Amino acid sequence: MIYEIPKYSPGGDRYILAVFGDEMNLELNFIAQGMARALKSSNTKGVVESAPCFASLLVHYEPEEIGYDDLIREMTSIFGLLGPSDNLELRSRLFSIPVMYLDPWSAECVEDYRTKIADKLPDPELIVRENGLKDVNHLVRLHSSSEYWVASLGFWPGLPFLMALDPRARLTAPKYNPPRTDTPQGAIGLGGGATSIYPVATPGGYQIFGRTPIPIWDATQKIPAFQGDLCLFRPGDRIKFIPVTREEFDYVEAEVKAGTYETNIVEYQNFIVSDYNAWNHKLKGGAV
Amino acid sequence: MIEVVDPGLETTIQDWPGRYGFWNKGFPVSGPMDSWSMRLANVLVGNQPGVAALEAQFLGPTLKFQLDTVIAVCGANMRAKLDGEPLELWQSHQVLAGQVLKMTAAISGARAYIAIAGGIDNKIVLGSRSTFSKAGVGGIDGGALKAGQILPVIPAEGTAGMIVPEASRPKFSKTRIWSVEVCAGPNDDWIDKAGQERFFSADWTLSAKSDRTGFRLEGPEWSFTPKAINKPAEHGALPSNIIDHGYPMGAINLAGQTPIILVNDGPSMGGFINPYTVPTASFWKLGQARPGEILSFQKISVSGAQKKAADLKQLCSQETLLKMN
Repeated sequence: MIYEIPKYSPGGDRYILAVFGDEMNLELNFIAQGMARALKSSNTKGVVESAPCFASLLVHYEPEEIGYDDLIREMTSIFGLLGPSDNLELRSRLFSIPVMYLDPWSAECVEDYRTKIADKLPDPELIVRENGLKDVNHLVRLHSSSEYWVASLGFWPGLPFLMALDPRARLTAPKYNPPRTDTPQGAIGLGGGATSIYPVATPGGYQIFGRTPIPIWDATQKIPAFQGDLCLFRPGDRIKFIPVTREEFDYVEAEVKAGTYETNIVEYQNFIVSDYNAWNHKLKGGAV
Repeated sequence: MIEVVDPGLETTIQDWPGRYGFWNKGFPVSGPMDSWSMRLANVLVGNQPGVAALEAQFLGPTLKFQLDTVIAVCGANMRAKLDGEPLELWQSHQVLAGQVLKMTAAISGARAYIAIAGGIDNKIVLGSRSTFSKAGVGGIDGGALKAGQILPVIPAEGTAGMIVPEASRPKFSKTRIWSVEVCAGPNDDWIDKAGQERFFSADWTLSAKSDRTGFRLEGPEWSFTPKAINKPAEHGALPSNIIDHGYPMGAINLAGQTPIILVNDGPSMGGFINPYTVPTASFWKLGQARPGEILSFQKISVSGAQKKAADLKQLCSQETLLKMN
């Protein structure tokens, strides 16, 4: 569901959360990203920064410069001026990210959690059960079959929040209870309907079932693929996960260490929302 | 310049308010957990309240000064001594080149702030000198202080002989129970009435598994409204699961059944609900609470919390200080 008017709620004395709908889809993400851009270009007094995600926008404001109710009024009027997204055509880079699915490091991390914190089904098996898949190989085939949309960055420096663009590859999973205190760097996780890549070893709540050897954030700003940014990805990019063997994983990891690895980025494509919507419509009913 | 003889447990460079403007790339605000104490330490030595100073956690550092300067130590009592002589907290002191400041384990509170006239002159990264050590951002080489490091200082005269009157200092709990204000929201409507009452009536124990990214709390189970149960699958199946969204700093993040207060180096987004948020004026209590101590929560309105923050800003200024006789 997409709401007529955003739902606002306060987060302490300096934040407002605006929620635009109750599902994950491209249109909602365009609204969230569009609101972030429009709010920024409006130069509304007292807005410090904002952080869009799948279907919401968190706004950080300075209460000495603008009150909670006044900011909501401003945001609602900006929201009313947002154009429709179904005729958008935008540049979208496509990243090929090598992933060793069902890798030993994630398995070891999960095993450690099951022994010390809480017993649970191992993460790949849990996703198989939750989504009615045949087995873990089915999970790998399905997860690597779709392109993923970079809806936003957050949680940790450079971490992308991803949404499968192919409706047939949409998987869901419950999040950890309680979260892990650690996750292997480069782990691929699924939580709710979102996929992500853990940039470094961090706490985490997504079910993990793969790992990439390539860096997705760079404090030194020296890796050419980042094109002067701290983070490899930007909202509106697409990612394709390429399954690799342990041997290939080790090879890429060694190249990354040597500074010779070149991230595969395709930069000549546009993403045409109306074409995507038409294709999606055609596929409707074909979900897993 | 100041030589780090012993870094203490985890001493970091922080400025206030910290690193704004990168929440949408996953960079936390960082900055001092108890900004009340840090801001006062700064104004004592004649600095602006927010310039870069040191935050010592649980076990303070030993520093050797290579210049004549003015310092102040505020916050937790880590039995600071200058060349072996006790150094009074909440006052600014002249120090001479060659003198050694030695701090030990905190006997009250958890975090102490050491301000130096002029402030620390480490590199500004993404608009701030603050250290986010978990990701190697800011500070010196991205981490906490290490033995042998030399801290650069911005030259300044400094104001020795100033004192913060007792009434203007934060009141540390003597009972090991901290009463912490929270604002309702963003997701308080996911918690049912019984769950909300339990949250406010319970004693929450601060877990040892807490650091500058998150404060884990131990206490009763949570219960939920239908909204948390009947929802689209992309939220995730458990009641605390929500479609990933931005997290306010200070949010009480309900991860499964475990509440985690997202503090200064915490995540900017994620897929758990945040029923309550600790407002900025109450953060100092989190900064001074020790693992094993009790947090109990009191509701405050958004405007009430904003007023508290404005009052605190007023208080953390030169006008508050007195000259020592």
